Amino acid sequence: MADKSKLGTEFPSCTFTVEKDKIIEFAVAVAQKENKEQINPIYYDENEARKAGYDGIPAPPTFSVCSFFWTGGGLMGTIKKLGIDLSRLRHREEEYEYFGCIYAGDIITRKMRVTDMIKKGKKERPIEITILETEYINQHGKLVLKSRTKLMEI
Amino acid sequence: MNVAVKYNNIEVGSEMPEYVCDPLTRTHLVRYAGASGDFNPLHYDQTFVRTIGLKNVIAHGMLIMGIVSEAITSWIGLKNLKKFNVRFLNMTEPMDLDDREKTKDRATIIIKGKVVRKFEENGEQKFECDVTAQDALGSKKLSGYFIATLPS
Repeated sequence: MADKSKLGTEFPSCTFTVEKDKIIEFAVAVAQKENKEQINPIYYDENEARKAGYDGIPAPPTFSVCSFFWTGGGLMGTIKKLGIDLSRLRHREEEYEYFGCIYAGDIITRKMRVTDMIKKGKKERPIEITILETEYINQHGKLVLKSRTKLMEI
Repeated sequence: MNVAVKYNNIEVGSEMPEYVCDPLTRTHLVRYAGASGDFNPLHYDQTFVRTIGLKNVIAHGMLIMGIVSEAITSWIGLKNLKKFNVRFLNMTEPMDLDDREKTKDRATIIIKGKVVRKFEENGEQKFECDVTAQDALGSKKLSGYFIATLPS
């Protein structure tokens, strides 16, 4: 059961470098392909990306999820800290708000905090909801992405 | 890849091009586990899922969201996407390679969308589009919406 005293918790910020080959690997996985020649060239060819109006090789829309698993103890570390029961955990909702692109070579600082904890349902079958909001700030100090994750224990 | 769709060519009620994914296999799940770093055994280890009472491994919700993002950006272009929200619904089991039990349909995700609003904000022309993903048997995997800008 999520520990309500954790509401407002800010996780230590984490910094990660966006690797060009990691973008390719991720883009291949979500396009269900086997190699980079089969995907949109903006994800591996810098000239093509610039021709299409990008300042470099951009990351796909859901790429930032990787940083959740690479940093700050990953899923297990996060839920342990919040007292969430893995066997009851469901990922209910995910939202991204884009303010700019994340590019290969960027150094991104990720700041995650608990913005809400709600208890619903009946006494004998409670449902607990935890909302995590994360900001992604690039090496120029620009906020490029905000994500909002709704976790539910059922 | 240049995007052909223009703000003036879409109306409330316009449909996003339907996108049908390749039937998901366990290989797709493992590739996504590696790419994302999500190594929850729920998504690839048959001996683990049996201990929690499931018959099969299930796809990462975020893989389905990623496939939906591929459908959206192949229509409107990555840089035009401003907001993307999904709510996860039913679980998705991959197909069996021998396909003895006709498992292909449960693993084939069909993505559809419909424009619900056109508006201007901060001098930008934007639209909002509802999206759904369901398998070929009709089971809904997620529903959500996105907001994007487009040139006239």
